Amino acid sequence: MPIASELRNLLRSGVHRMGELEFQTNVSNHFCIVTHWQDAGRVNVPGFGGLARHDGPSAARDLACRTEDGQYRFNKGQTNLQRGWMMVLENEEDLRQALDLFYPAGVGVFLAHRNDTLEVENLRDKLQRQSGMYRLAGKISDAGAQQLVRKICGPDHACARRILWQIDAHTPLDDSAASRFSGIPAPLAENEAIPLLCREACNFFVEECRKAAQEEMQDQTS
Amino acid sequence: MPIAPKPHSALLIVGHGSTGNPDSSAPCFEHADAIRRRGLFAEVHCCFWKEEPSMREAFYMIDSAEVYVVPDFISEGYFTQDVIPRELQLTGPTTIIRGKTFHYCLPVGSHPSMTRLILRRAREVAPDADPAQTTLIITGHGTNLNPNSAQAIRDQVSRIAASGAGYAAVLDAYMEEPPFIAGWDLMAPTTQVIVVPFFIADGLHSYQDIPVLLGIEKETGAAASQRDIFRHNPHHLRDKLLYYSSAIGTERLLADVILDQVADFDRMHKSALT
Repeated sequence: MPIASELRNLLRSGVHRMGELEFQTNVSNHFCIVTHWQDAGRVNVPGFGGLARHDGPSAARDLACRTEDGQYRFNKGQTNLQRGWMMVLENEEDLRQALDLFYPAGVGVFLAHRNDTLEVENLRDKLQRQSGMYRLAGKISDAGAQQLVRKICGPDHACARRILWQIDAHTPLDDSAASRFSGIPAPLAENEAIPLLCREACNFFVEECRKAAQEEMQDQTS
Repeated sequence: MPIAPKPHSALLIVGHGSTGNPDSSAPCFEHADAIRRRGLFAEVHCCFWKEEPSMREAFYMIDSAEVYVVPDFISEGYFTQDVIPRELQLTGPTTIIRGKTFHYCLPVGSHPSMTRLILRRAREVAPDADPAQTTLIITGHGTNLNPNSAQAIRDQVSRIAASGAGYAAVLDAYMEEPPFIAGWDLMAPTTQVIVVPFFIADGLHSYQDIPVLLGIEKETGAAASQRDIFRHNPHHLRDKLLYYSSAIGTERLLADVILDQVADFDRMHKSALT
């Protein structure tokens, strides 16, 4: 089934959240209104509570690109999505396009995971394919990588994604708040949200691996 | 070359992206929007090496069984010959992966129609400059690690010189290999000089590094998206009149070059099958 049709079915089944986005259906006969979840109540206030209105999905890239104070959000799983806007969408294809800009490939990855067709990429595989100065990232120890997961991943560190990868095929992640996180924001039930899934370490994690590997090498030589 | 609609195919534009600057991927998204509006493909997506979605994640965004992959890169080289095929698991011009057929097109920068874009950009940035009294310099990164990086620019210089555009001189210059762009004033035989950066986006090199090498800026400035006003042309520098354009990859007609690469793929590879 096309991804957009799957998305429509998910909304009909009661899904109303993905990451920091809230979906409201059947408001003023629109297919879907998307807001930051903390702004959802303002949609029903006269004048939309001052929310800036965007019709269609095209503004999604700009909204997802920068935080409220102008910082670049290259990692779209960060829980620092700007507020103060609403997006009015008239069909499931427009919703799909918007979501692919807010959370790139997030819906497709979720559907593949649900269908058991998702190929997850473990950390060592990801690090071995780095180029240039990032090749050094592959030198990080398993212990260093486990420590990084605890230090920078999960909702405690502003990431909304559920980690699916391991260090390698034989080395699962240590138990931690980050490795336990389901990708469903509390206190929602599983059938209320599309979880954000992390099928491969992000480039921020790779960069941190490079720094940690450098420090490990310096410690060994000193 | 006009392209026939492909209502059952997806277009996947592959860019480099950046973890530090959204300007790097902005043209990719703009070209994707422009092509999407034309309704030629069932779906149009972007994916990146340094941004999301990654090339491997992109597979899961696509419904269509046939996918045209066009690298939004300026030349053939390490990324187009090694990284993209490896990440997308492509083994040749056409590869079937888990039920989807991927067609791997050449990068935009290598297409002959880029010549038209360079000339258009040169005219836009210096509309009153008489070509006969003007030197056109096409500048790129250049690196001793990859001869293809400079070759794409040398090809464009040859095409423009042969095009009858009428410039007094058409030259190539680079950041990291000779002839160096820092010596633009010494290599240009005319007072008026137009410099067009042969880059895919107004990122670090074309917007921040090269202006310093040209002498427009004393030190590296902020990213393009963080500045309110684009630099004003012309610049009176080193006894010359310098016009500096934004990166060629930001030209809106680059969307047509992406489509040209798809059409060329069909002509070169699909016609052989029929």
